[in-house]
Amino acid sequence: MNSRRGFLKQASAAAVAAGTIPPILTWALPPGQSVDFPGEDGMILRSYRFVDLETPVEDFNTWLTPVPHFFVRNHMHEPSELDPKDWRLSIGGEVDNPLTLSLAEVSKLETHSVVNSLECAGNGRGFYRPQVPGVQWGRGAVSTARFSGPRLRDVLERAGVKSTGKHVMFRGLDEVPGKVPPFIRSIPIEKAIDADTLIATHMNGSPLTKHHGFPARALVPGWIGAASCKWLTEIKVLEAEFAGNFMSPAYRFPNQPVQPGEAVKPEDTHPLTALTVKSVIAVPSDGASIKLGRIVVHGAAWAGEADIARVEISTDNGATWNPATLGHEQSHYAWRLWSYDWKAVKSGDYSICSRATDNQGRVQPSTAVWNPSGYLYNAIDQVKIHVS
Amino acid sequence: MSRSAKTFVAVALLALMAPATFPALAQKTASVTADLPAGPMQAKATTACLECHEARIILQQRLSKAAWTKEVDKMIKWGAVVDAADREALIDYLSGNFSPDKPPYEPQRTSADRKASGKMK
Repeated sequence: MNSRRGFLKQASAAAVAAGTIPPILTWALPPGQSVDFPGEDGMILRSYRFVDLETPVEDFNTWLTPVPHFFVRNHMHEPSELDPKDWRLSIGGEVDNPLTLSLAEVSKLETHSVVNSLECAGNGRGFYRPQVPGVQWGRGAVSTARFSGPRLRDVLERAGVKSTGKHVMFRGLDEVPGKVPPFIRSIPIEKAIDADTLIATHMNGSPLTKHHGFPARALVPGWIGAASCKWLTEIKVLEAEFAGNFMSPAYRFPNQPVQPGEAVKPEDTHPLTALTVKSVIAVPSDGASIKLGRIVVHGAAWAGEADIARVEISTDNGATWNPATLGHEQSHYAWRLWSYDWKAVKSGDYSICSRATDNQGRVQPSTAVWNPSGYLYNAIDQVKIHVS
Repeated sequence: MSRSAKTFVAVALLALMAPATFPALAQKTASVTADLPAGPMQAKATTACLECHEARIILQQRLSKAAWTKEVDKMIKWGAVVDAADREALIDYLSGNFSPDKPPYEPQRTSADRKASGKMK
């Protein structure tokens, strides 16, 4: 038992013994002690080993997420030893001239920057019912950064992709425990040669940190985070989609809607690619008590490869909707911050909802499509508050 | 009442009177590792599961027995060492402790580093 819990338990017992039961102790407790995690600031700890850290949504207040607040998703152990002098990136498979590049050589290539909102495919998994196995992310497995590095297509051009090359596989240096399949995935060649797909070495102007894939990671903008392989060490051009656990059965979505709880055959699924349309409310927090008067509701909205067209807010549990104001900062693959000025004139309990629409006409649904692995949760966001 | 009990009452009352003392207490940091719950399979589950990942991955799940069975079998395939005679008991232990009717899991936070939380544009 940790010391704080131990103290409170003994304090409560002592108070009960003294006939003075302090009800405040039953609800005033902070939700457990914090855990030291150098370089990561006030993050929601989903797992220490492997490292899985969620950004608290109240931190969605800057267009670019400071790196210490950027969510972290690892499937495996991070590389235990990684000397940038020894690091190499190989490019092979269906190419005419296989290459091996050092970090110094990668650094000499022309650099391109993309502001991208990276979201884990499982963000929001914890809201699906019935529950599904996996990291039980809430709303914060998404963050935005300016990623910089050479274009993947420049490196592929140097290697000379053969006409048989249809998919591009990424392998990282994460360390695989037991007989767990390695975290290897692939993307179609069309996305690989897109001008915005990068071998990213920098994030918000600084070299990648270890948690985010130092010294280089793939950056596949607008797609599920799993496409953007960290600690990248091998790029291999393939004739077909990579055959491995993290392409199938993992990271696939049913072709047809299924009943919640229903099993799905692998042949009735397709690999996840681009993110869908979504908004979340950063402030106010769910369960907040707020004074009557002007209440600012703000949050973020994103749509993968599409652009956000509008965000609407309801303060009456979805009966009526009003447009939010979109933030000025924008970039094709990045979220838009938004805000809504609400004048609450009557005390009571309110359910505030946010709903995003993108320029492809996709609208955030009232219910997300249940699927066996809990991917792409994007139901209309909702917080309940009390105004008095 | 013992001296230590009196001290605890005094501290508890002080805490009630001065809620500002709570943040200071909350800044204390916890162990980085979490434990699996007590029970006949605690030791064997610790050996089988926590070799590769930590307990929080399990503590946050709320799954049916059928779903736990699939997870345990997947993990055995992936290298978890579970004696065939223990498989059923391990599934019962996990589905008993981490079923959908259990209260929601409350995750901890990493310590706040105010130097790191500067805003950027």
